[in-house]
Amino acid sequence: MIDSALADRWIVVCCGAGGVGKTTVSAAVALGLAKLGHRAVVVTIDPARRLGSALGLDHLGDEPRRVSPESIDDAGLTVPGELWALQLDAKATFDRLVARNAPTPQDRERILENRIYRHLSGAVAGAQEYMAVERLHELVEDGRFERIVLDTPPSRNALDFLEAPERITRFIEGKALRLLTQPATGGNIAARALHMGGAAVLSVLERITGAQMLRDVADFLGAFDGMYDGFAERAGEVRELLRSDDAAFVVVTAPDPGPTEEALALAERLGKEAYPLQGVVLNRVHGAPPVGDPAPHELRAILADAGARHPDDLAARAAETLDELRALAQHDGQAREALTAALGSPLLGQVPALPDEPVDLHGLARVTAALRT
Amino acid sequence: MQRRLCFVLGKGGVGKSAVSAALGLAAARAGRRALLCEVAGSDRASALFGAGDVDHERPVELAPGLFGIAIDVDHSTERYLASQLRVRPLVELLVHSKAFHHFTAAAPGLAELVTLGAIWSLAVELRPGGERPVWDFVVVDCPATGHGVALLETASNIRALAAQGPISEQSERIEQVIKHPAATGVALVARPDELPVSEAVDAAAALRRRDLPVALAVMNAMTPQRFRDDEAGALTAASLGAGGASAAAAAAALAHLERQAVEAVHLEHLEHGTGLPVLQLPLLVRQEFDLDAVQDLADAAASGLRSLGQ
Repeated sequence: MIDSALADRWIVVCCGAGGVGKTTVSAAVALGLAKLGHRAVVVTIDPARRLGSALGLDHLGDEPRRVSPESIDDAGLTVPGELWALQLDAKATFDRLVARNAPTPQDRERILENRIYRHLSGAVAGAQEYMAVERLHELVEDGRFERIVLDTPPSRNALDFLEAPERITRFIEGKALRLLTQPATGGNIAARALHMGGAAVLSVLERITGAQMLRDVADFLGAFDGMYDGFAERAGEVRELLRSDDAAFVVVTAPDPGPTEEALALAERLGKEAYPLQGVVLNRVHGAPPVGDPAPHELRAILADAGARHPDDLAARAAETLDELRALAQHDGQAREALTAALGSPLLGQVPALPDEPVDLHGLARVTAALRT
Repeated sequence: MQRRLCFVLGKGGVGKSAVSAALGLAAARAGRRALLCEVAGSDRASALFGAGDVDHERPVELAPGLFGIAIDVDHSTERYLASQLRVRPLVELLVHSKAFHHFTAAAPGLAELVTLGAIWSLAVELRPGGERPVWDFVVVDCPATGHGVALLETASNIRALAAQGPISEQSERIEQVIKHPAATGVALVARPDELPVSEAVDAAAALRRRDLPVALAVMNAMTPQRFRDDEAGALTAASLGAGGASAAAAAAALAHLERQAVEAVHLEHLEHGTGLPVLQLPLLVRQEFDLDAVQDLADAAASGLRSLGQ
């Protein structure tokens, strides 16, 4: 899949439900693209500590860092291109966005110092999702990278990610509240009536929140005044970029009902909204062991010869384990059938279940190998 | 888990909904009137009981003694406003005003506060005429770790933002309950993998910094202890010496043994990292995660909690 469906895409976005291994798959895709000779960067959201270390992300800060050729050699890998990684810092990205769009240094300070803004720290609905997209935009402008792979943040719903640009723009816009917080100046009767209605709303609101919180929110939205156009333009650019043929979306899922349901909803939504969905990757699939029941006498005899203390019991436990493995393989096989039937198309890729989630380059390379075919 | 209000938190994919359902069912079987709360549009926990239409108006009985309710933000906001303003037209004025919706979008944590407030009022609700609470056990299937921690921290955050006024007073009342270790306990759920465990460890520290009562860690989906290290030699010989399915069985046993060792490391990390008692729940190998599975998990939870003295 990496060599065919993704090789010529500038941007690859990996999305899906939480806990399906998106970060691992994103890093494996970037490694695969680097193996094809590209300078590839993966934007990770929250990598496991040891995977982060393997990618050279021990130091804080959200600048891209190159995975050193020595550590790639040490892992026994051949990578003609370059593998880079960075960990998203949503707050720092938001701060840069504010700095870029603020009309004056005073405006910038007013926002950065605002109590509401400081409490946001990625907590506002969609902020982290949007900052992931914004960071992608920065990397595109940066121009250093031939391939950019984006892991998406854990959200309540994988679809949140797509709505983030619109939501954050609406939030910055705050038109209605601005209308209320600014005194009416002339205008027609309708505008004045609206303002009177607004005043009533404000006074009711104040009974709930107290005057000070209302003032802070109004001040916060007021501080964004004049920045709306910049934000909206940026959100529009990102949307266009993600819908273009330069981008590819990969939905990652695992053979479980919850994630599969989310993956299907996500695939449908991406298709409907004309995002370039390349397909679905099924992660952590248990392979089927050989068919047939173990010959009890044979297994028992070999275990006894090898010095097992309770060969009967051990043989029975081994047989039970094989049965479970078969049940798992059957379960995963059925989940795959159901998924492809619902998608109406074959899977883009499949990754076998590994004994432990990969946390080093060597482990990552196994996932990459599964995704290249 | 004798506390009345239990928040179930953990990384996406660890099985929070199944664990919440199992804790609720175990409480109900022990004779406690239990309520399973779902938030943020999730219905995974109640779906396990085959209940298609858990709504936000009134609790629906999912199993004998166990009820379910979905907390809906819009509905709860309206209820909250009604309780504060007491005048219906004023409530209508707000909920139909664009400015109000912009305000709630801009003020961080309002949606969370309303959700938390709805849970709080369920937990403190008393039976008519009596002094006994309506619910003996309220278990909340929280959103994934980051959002779940934000949900629990929201009352403190709002108090920091709104120094006075009804919203600040409301936050204070909520805080008094959710920070009270006799009333509330947070259960942190992980699965035996690195990332879910380190998220649980980080969440425990974050919640303690906020004086939120973390009570229990849950390691879900544990591989059963089936083989001993001293059996590895014989199994290796069999995996090489036998043929076909016998060799496959020996190889499967070795992989199982390796997995036991990997999980033991994760379990120790969870235990030491959180400093909490750890409830171990088994990995259930079956075709469908259905009501039978929840019942098995509830059995395991009940006996595990007994042996932990919880």
